[in-house]
Amino acid sequence: MMCVMPTLAASQPLVITAPAAPGGGWDQTARAMQRVLTTLEPALNVQVDNIPGAAGTIGLARFIQSERGNPQALMVTGLVMVSGAIMNGSPVSLANTTPIARLTGEYEVIVVPAASRFQSMRDLVEAFRADPGSISWGGGSAGGTDDMLVRLLAEQVGLPSSRVNYIAFAGGGAALAAVLGGQLSAAVSGHAEFAGQIAAGQLRVLAVSAPSRVRGIEAPTLRDAGIDLDLANWRAIVAPPGLSISEQEALTTLIARMSASAEWRQVLIQNGWEDLFLAGAPFRQFLLAEQSRIEDVLRRLASNDRRPAGVRLSPVTVPYIAAAALAGLALVVVFRRPRIEPIDPRALALVSLGLLSLPLIVGTLGFIAAAAGVFVLTATALREGRRGVTVSDVVAATTFAVAVFLLFTRVLGVTLPGPQVF
Amino acid sequence: MGELANGLSVALTPHNLLWGFAGTTLGTAVGVLPGIGPALTVALLLPITYGLDPTAALIMFAGIYYGAMYGGSTTSILLNTPGESATIVTALDGHQMARNGRAGAALATAAIGSFMAGTLATLALSLIAPLMVRLALSFGSADYFALMVLAFVMVSTMLGDSRIRGWLSLTLGLTMGFVGIDGLSGQTRFTFGIPYLLDGLDPVIVAIGLFAVGETLWIASRGPLAAELLPVRGSLWMTGAEWSRSWRPWLRGAAIGFPLGALPAGGAELPTLLSYSLEKRLAKHPQEFGRGAIEAVAGPEAANNASAAGTLVPLLTLGLPTSATAAVLLAAFQQFGLQPGPLLFEHEPRLVWAVIASLYVGNVMLLVLNLPLVGLWVKLLAIPRPWLYGGILVLASVGAFSVHRSVGDLVAMAAIGAAGFLLRAIGAPVAPVMIGVILGPSAEQHLRRALAISQYDWSVFLTRPVSVTLLSAAFVVGMSAVLRSRRS
Repeated sequence: MMCVMPTLAASQPLVITAPAAPGGGWDQTARAMQRVLTTLEPALNVQVDNIPGAAGTIGLARFIQSERGNPQALMVTGLVMVSGAIMNGSPVSLANTTPIARLTGEYEVIVVPAASRFQSMRDLVEAFRADPGSISWGGGSAGGTDDMLVRLLAEQVGLPSSRVNYIAFAGGGAALAAVLGGQLSAAVSGHAEFAGQIAAGQLRVLAVSAPSRVRGIEAPTLRDAGIDLDLANWRAIVAPPGLSISEQEALTTLIARMSASAEWRQVLIQNGWEDLFLAGAPFRQFLLAEQSRIEDVLRRLASNDRRPAGVRLSPVTVPYIAAAALAGLALVVVFRRPRIEPIDPRALALVSLGLLSLPLIVGTLGFIAAAAGVFVLTATALREGRRGVTVSDVVAATTFAVAVFLLFTRVLGVTLPGPQVF
Repeated sequence: MGELANGLSVALTPHNLLWGFAGTTLGTAVGVLPGIGPALTVALLLPITYGLDPTAALIMFAGIYYGAMYGGSTTSILLNTPGESATIVTALDGHQMARNGRAGAALATAAIGSFMAGTLATLALSLIAPLMVRLALSFGSADYFALMVLAFVMVSTMLGDSRIRGWLSLTLGLTMGFVGIDGLSGQTRFTFGIPYLLDGLDPVIVAIGLFAVGETLWIASRGPLAAELLPVRGSLWMTGAEWSRSWRPWLRGAAIGFPLGALPAGGAELPTLLSYSLEKRLAKHPQEFGRGAIEAVAGPEAANNASAAGTLVPLLTLGLPTSATAAVLLAAFQQFGLQPGPLLFEHEPRLVWAVIASLYVGNVMLLVLNLPLVGLWVKLLAIPRPWLYGGILVLASVGAFSVHRSVGDLVAMAAIGAAGFLLRAIGAPVAPVMIGVILGPSAEQHLRRALAISQYDWSVFLTRPVSVTLLSAAFVVGMSAVLRSRRS
């Protein structure tokens, strides 16, 4: 095959950042891309880099900062990052990246337990309108797709989004357990997470958040139920800022080719993902529209945060009580002047120096130097007699640090920073 | 039973035995090394097993999961550096046993206890999974909160001799546990604008900092050391007295671990904490706890293995992932086009029973693999102590760093190590910090979730049968502790 992508060099790896821990949707997307791209372009060295944290915003910040101008870097992103960046007050957002393409998505389903009195979306909405607080909606993390769908739905049926009694659960499993156990009125999630229970007749799907009926999901859309709303938990690919037009085009061509391949079809079917491929100007417009829709709902939510009557625990009530108790107890302990046994300042200082140097040296000279350094300082501190650094300490430290480094990087495939001299 | 026999015939084919062996060996290695847990390993291996047949791959993954539960205790006992959150409690007395020259016995009771509990819990998994899951589903947030209250009351015996200093450690742990984004509202708490703190402090990082780093700083401040730790005093293996002190904690640990593991929001840390405090209450010599009591290793190790089997109950019967590893295993099922859930047992009985059968086989393999290793591991303690502590800090930093590959984790580890040193310097116990970090945030989440669902009707805790039972139990345990301390 002819070289289709003039600027993608086979000598440099193409690194796909998954801004999440291994196992989640973003990671699965990155690893599926790695597999398909390697099949399509055997010469290309595709790597996946997981940078988990804070709805992907930690990965986003690091991607923008350290990959700027790198034409061989991509990041998986999605709807959750849009709201995450707003809610966490992140200084950077997707607007700071170079959009490449929307790839896949999953539509959300609204389910109730099989024994629920709600037979249709209309029944549920009627009860919700009559007494919003009495309907407990369960789903994933606050600010995630599930949460956003319920807030948008409330606004569509004429309720302020702050009246929604949304109960966030960590991960899909816990929300599923709570709705199956009848603890919740309704639950919201991607269809795949509930598919087993739906097939077994334990959950009833009231509506799906797609613009039109979805094959394989036996349920009306929200629009069928008279609610003008659709929402996909979409996943997209972005590149770092500072790329030339031709570099952007090379990446877009590659992703488009991957998305059209038979191997990618297979991935979509296996994971139950919808093909939502969209690139170029339409994708950029779509991103802007999603950004403003999410921003609006979150802003209205923050501005009229109405609290129900009665004793209410805010998110900081218990933490503040704990912190106040800690401060009080610390004062009591200090006031009582605890008897502190004499300490050896030299040894303590040496070990502390080693620990404090770790973060600095790991980032610059690499892991081996940092590890050997902390080893030597600790051994010197603990040795009997006031001798300084010995040769045998240095030899032992270096050997051990190199062995650990090789074990983790070569055998276990965990990336550690280091001068890759081996 | 017939299904299990069929499963065994599949699991015992040479091909599947080989994959099971690969999984258990890899799992043990992963468990021994700090930082990389079974979830990460399975996730990294997923793409590689793409071409494998699903039964073999799932047997290997289950082996990794069980193996990691076995191996995790090793670094806790020898180096005071827990590799997984499930083995944090093991470090408390396990490392003290090692310092008393009983590392061999500690490792052996952990391995045999893991085998016993793992086998019993697997038996329970094959017999009463459907019943367990119905019970687990009836657990609501109010019931979880009541369970946490009971746990808090139970573990109050770990606060140590000085109540004030014990409470100081506990509130420090609570405050640290609340750091990060609040799961219910998405609001940040105690993050001070530092992005690193958004995801909170990982309990494993806190444990490594408090135990490994704090302890090393403390030892260093005591001045120069004798040349080496005692690798062995007395027999390498468990003595008769140690056997007779171990078997009851094994059984009780299994009985606590399995049902709590099956709860959708149970986790692996809660059963180990509960087992520790239960053993302390039942022990003839509770004053030995914290100074190297074998019950304190036997019980929690059994509990954490049983809870691993318990986690498979909601995963296999409902498709509910209740731990990070279970979530990755779920992804593994899906990769092979299988949907764990109510229909899995009907659609794929051969595969499910083969995986369950492989757990029995894996447990035997792990016992055979781990017991001979005890002698080898104990030799580690013969390393001159300056080098041993140097090595501990290297492993602690690689462990802390490889969890999220973040330099922030190294800073956090050093800062928490400094806190651990200060606590030791004023004579405060460090174990209550871990209780606060583990139990605090989850108790608070369940409290607020229960109140949100009931629209702030506080009577919800007294109207649900499970919750009211657990709260009454907590009241009785708490009152008896108060009465006992009055008397003494």
